[in-house]
Amino acid sequence: MATASPSVFLLMVNGQVESAQFPEYDDLYCKYCFVYGQDWAPTAGLEEGISQITSKSQDVRQALVWNFPIDVTFKSTNPYGWPQIVLSVYGPDVFGNDVVRGYGAVHVPFSPGRHKRTIPMFVPESTSKLQKFTSWFMGRRPEYTDPKVVAQGEGREGKAPSPLLPLSPIQVTAWEWVGPGLG
Amino acid sequence: MAEVHVIGQIIGASGFSESSLFCKWGIHTGAAWKLLSGVREGQTQVDTPQIGDMAYWSHPIDLHFATKGLQGWPRLHFQVWSQDSFGRCQLAGYGFCHVPSSPGTHQLACPTWRPLGSWREQLARAFVGGGPQLLHGDTIYSGADRYRLHTAAGGTVHLEIGLLLRNFDRYGVEC
Repeated sequence: MATASPSVFLLMVNGQVESAQFPEYDDLYCKYCFVYGQDWAPTAGLEEGISQITSKSQDVRQALVWNFPIDVTFKSTNPYGWPQIVLSVYGPDVFGNDVVRGYGAVHVPFSPGRHKRTIPMFVPESTSKLQKFTSWFMGRRPEYTDPKVVAQGEGREGKAPSPLLPLSPIQVTAWEWVGPGLG
Repeated sequence: MAEVHVIGQIIGASGFSESSLFCKWGIHTGAAWKLLSGVREGQTQVDTPQIGDMAYWSHPIDLHFATKGLQGWPRLHFQVWSQDSFGRCQLAGYGFCHVPSSPGTHQLACPTWRPLGSWREQLARAFVGGGPQLLHGDTIYSGADRYRLHTAAGGTVHLEIGLLLRNFDRYGVEC
């Protein structure tokens, strides 16, 4: 397989955003999108989606279930820029405005097979107390203009302390390599 | 040339007595290694845990190296700092770990340590903050001159790193 020409490989991702645990919030929906490098391109499926709004179950589990399908295939010549899935969760606040409840990102797993991932989520926080109160009151929380920022490493230093919201399990199952493999 | 892809994330840190933590990370390699794509160092955001004591950063790492030799296999090193409500930063721990050498996904837990000073400096650190820091960052990942230090344990940095290797069999390296 020793060839100098670039070899194209496919990465197929099938899965779902299964459920979330947010003890303090209810009536949430999530959006997902993929962030990938320049050598990657989606060839099939949807690379973005918005789920339904879900409420906590009445039983003792208090589960927030979306069961939201993810189905996408990528084509690439280079593992650099391996796709990351970025999740943003939104819900209503006390006044009825739609505010962001958490952002999170994780790389699509590298090996074929069935994988379950639990993604911690975080929210940007205003630095001054006055700003925190104003944003709570007006329903205009700090939000990223482009959620894809969450998938990048550069430029994170300036961020204010971000409260952590708990984990949202995402189950990504059954993808396979097609074409010449690597490693 | 053999190539190595290091793709993963710094998940977060646990076990530190301070909350509101951020991490400065870097990767150190030997002379035979060349970074083809990616950034060699970075700094995470500050995270304040609301539930539990683990601070989550989910900071992505995506590096592509080309190498002519195995010497100087990459090492990730970390400096974990805490930030208080006044915006002052205090060192919480130094740590390093080698990037794994077998392909696949690995969960790494990297222990950290911080230098202790004299009893006066320790008392000052408890009341006012601050405390001794290393002058030269390479002591974090090298063994030379460590005997001079007296340190205390910090918490643990958690990482998930995936490794892809390419062309190593051409050079007779089994992995």
